[in-house]
Amino acid sequence: MTATALVLMEEGEPSEQAAFFARGWGDGTVHSVGVDAIKPYAPDAIAAILQRAADDLKAVAVLAAGTDRGNDVMARLAARTGLPFAANIVAADPADAIEVTRQRWGGSLLENAILISDRPLVTVAPYAVKAGNWPGPIAVDVKRYIAELDPRDMVVQVKEHIDPPGGGVSLAEAKVVVSGGRGVGSKEGFAIIEELAGLLGGRVGCSRVVTSAGWRPHTDQVGQTGTKISPDIYIACGISGATQHMAGCKGAKRILAINADAEAPIMSLADYAVVGDLKEVVPAISAEIRKNK
Amino acid sequence: MNPIAAGVLTIVMIAAVALFGRRAELIYRLIRKGKPVARFDDIAGRARAEAVVVIGQSKLLQRMVPGLMHAAIFWGFIALLPTIFIAMIGIVDQHATLPWLGRQGWYALLVDVFAAVVLAGVITAFVIRKVQRPRRFAGSHMREADLILALIAGIVISLFLWHASQIALGLNEYPAAWAPISSLVAQGLHHSWTPYLERGAVWAHVLLILGFLVYLPYSKHLHIFLAAVNVFFGRTRARGRLEPINFEAPMDADVRFGAATAADLTWKQVLDTVSCTECGRCQDVCPAFNTGKELSPKLLIMGLRDQLLSGATAPLVPNAVTDNVVWDCVTCGACVRECPVGIEHIDHIVDLRRNLVMVESRFPDEAATMLRDVDRAGNPWGKPQSDRAHWADGLGVRVLDAGEPAPDVLFWVGCAPSFDERAKQAAISTAKLLKEAAVDFAILGPLESCTGDPARRMGDEYTFQKQAKQNVSTLNEAKVKKIVTTCPHCFNTIGNEYADFGGRYEVVHHTEFLAELVREGKLKTLAGDRTITYHDSCYLARHNDVRDAPRELAAAAGRAVEMPRNRERTFCCGAGGARMWMEERRGRPINEERVREAAGTGAETLAVACPFCTVMLDDGVRTTGAKLQVIDLATLLSEAVERRRARDSAVSTTDG
Repeated sequence: MTATALVLMEEGEPSEQAAFFARGWGDGTVHSVGVDAIKPYAPDAIAAILQRAADDLKAVAVLAAGTDRGNDVMARLAARTGLPFAANIVAADPADAIEVTRQRWGGSLLENAILISDRPLVTVAPYAVKAGNWPGPIAVDVKRYIAELDPRDMVVQVKEHIDPPGGGVSLAEAKVVVSGGRGVGSKEGFAIIEELAGLLGGRVGCSRVVTSAGWRPHTDQVGQTGTKISPDIYIACGISGATQHMAGCKGAKRILAINADAEAPIMSLADYAVVGDLKEVVPAISAEIRKNK
Repeated sequence: MNPIAAGVLTIVMIAAVALFGRRAELIYRLIRKGKPVARFDDIAGRARAEAVVVIGQSKLLQRMVPGLMHAAIFWGFIALLPTIFIAMIGIVDQHATLPWLGRQGWYALLVDVFAAVVLAGVITAFVIRKVQRPRRFAGSHMREADLILALIAGIVISLFLWHASQIALGLNEYPAAWAPISSLVAQGLHHSWTPYLERGAVWAHVLLILGFLVYLPYSKHLHIFLAAVNVFFGRTRARGRLEPINFEAPMDADVRFGAATAADLTWKQVLDTVSCTECGRCQDVCPAFNTGKELSPKLLIMGLRDQLLSGATAPLVPNAVTDNVVWDCVTCGACVRECPVGIEHIDHIVDLRRNLVMVESRFPDEAATMLRDVDRAGNPWGKPQSDRAHWADGLGVRVLDAGEPAPDVLFWVGCAPSFDERAKQAAISTAKLLKEAAVDFAILGPLESCTGDPARRMGDEYTFQKQAKQNVSTLNEAKVKKIVTTCPHCFNTIGNEYADFGGRYEVVHHTEFLAELVREGKLKTLAGDRTITYHDSCYLARHNDVRDAPRELAAAAGRAVEMPRNRERTFCCGAGGARMWMEERRGRPINEERVREAAGTGAETLAVACPFCTVMLDDGVRTTGAKLQVIDLATLLSEAVERRRARDSAVSTTDG
């Protein structure tokens, strides 16, 4: 029997890097289980398969890429086996007590940890190590393990994908964002904001005051404590431009502010400013766009 | 001398002391197992706290009726302490008493009066608990309190009955005339069974006291012994300072930051939890609790205590307290300030946060941006550091370059006044006033970086210390001696916390500095006719005792009126403890609560002395629609100086 490492594979470069990295953990042999062994995605079932495969192969370590799914499956594997798990490692020294360096804080902090185990679990931080040329891992035949799965492992499974409202483009990625602030006045007042956003193929955003008042959900909030956006054009209607809000839209290429108060901070921060009642200005812009369509 | 009575008393006493000792030893061991924390300095200050808070009952007397009630019972018990020995002697020998004291008329009077005072206190306590039922008792152990009160009543009543029957039988060693209440009761006690009553009462008195002694350490009334100890070890200096973590210390494999389990609590924190008497004064003043959030400082401490005493090794969060409780706190310190037994709730909250943030990476998502931006950009909004001095454009403010001689005073601007449109005005006004008074000052500009306060209050001690070390090195290299700042958070952090990292400066808040300039006549003011109510910032008024200077400025600028909650009992704006960078998802908004209180005074101006209060309260004014203008005291003072100048020039024109 060889000293093999077992790696969880999914599509994409991070998995290839993790698999290449896994060669350093045994005698260079690497076996693999695909995250798509069960479709749709069922993290407990995949963890169960990894557990059985690792036992049969007498794997010296189980690795995965530090992706959402990689960390999800490995956390479940750690919970069911009681094996030590280090997430998002960038370096390792596989000796008796395995010393790993792992990312904390989205990479702003590196932590050295020691794993004392015959079969440590690790995920490898994406793009932290390089994959070289090699034939790739040996795929484990998982049919037998799938047949022996406990029904309880299939309780958590993806049932449906739901696209976010607004044509699938998230607020963070939208090219056009039309936001309303306290000046909009009410939940119903957002109709004209939605209309303009619709005409421009953009998304609706709002300020903190608006979510506090319950006019829009928190997912629409642009700001320090909401979503950070980086559209080509940001149209801020009735928003004063508090620092907490501007921190969320500093990635915008151009800002157009519409506000009745010429003294509002946003008026000096915006590229274009219209002093006027948004309830007149916004429908007028919409009407003009319709006319030219 | 009755040998049987002596024998029975001895056996009962040994049993009582053994039961008491068993529990006391367990609690003592728990405290000794706590992690180290330095609380043996400033013995004079500690003695002072003991005299004021324990003997003087200062915190309790802030609420008149419950305060007098407690003081009556407390002082009464101190006065009555020797009667325990007198009664024990009385059990063994009816005709004996404590040498000297037992025969003094004045002491008999003292006992008579104080026993009555205690009884009145117990009755008041019952009325408070059964009739008034204040909300602060929600979640407290009410039955335990009833039993304790009944025991106290029993002790005092049995004492009266004993003394009265002694007098009726002529057994009193003291002159009966000196015990008027007991003498009055004695008049109804000339019966054949009075001798039995005398024996029964003295036995009841001593047995109730011993029962009380045994019950105490098993109940929340342990505070009778521990409050004095806990108050003694409380913070006496730099109350706004948090205990630093030593990251350089050699660590074992099991790295722990903050408090993950009960075993991580410091001995002072353990002492805190077992001192709690569940009175709920903390809960009554807590901004989070008062706006319908999950946090109650009282239930926090009770939760930690219950887990500690149960010996459970499970994580404190979410077993003893939930995540929400930990994040609801604004670190305003109202609970700490109010607690009569010296519990320091903020230390518990911050240690729980440290573990959640630095070990578990579990905290409200939206705060991550602030932590990252403080770390990378040196300010919580991720603004370019090169823009830091833009607020001062055109004001002719000197920006200190590396190697230049230090000014008399360094104006530490802070991030909010540097970058926030609303908070900027305070910095501009302060700079103008400093120039007006010909103060030699400068700012650091791009060399200034976030003090790290929001990161530290959030539990990210690592980022805080990085910021602290960087700023201390900048300030020390510039040979800065004196610092003035408009931000109470910077003021607290630089003044109270940077000393731990080698930074020792004289730090004054701009309100103090400007008030001094007014007093010296360097700034001449003329009060306007606007009504001003001043909102005390927690980190000024409560954590750092700056309360008078802001009021001098408000009075110099207009007609000042007070809000109901003012000075050291101020109510937070909602931004402290890094709450500025978290969404307020639970309960009602704290800032609106405070704005409504301000609007209730009828003032048209809500004066502030903190950039965070400025932003929070201004938001609150917008959302509530209150007719209030939120303005920093520096700006109000600047207007008062302008007004004076306008009048003086008008006068001189008329004269000419």
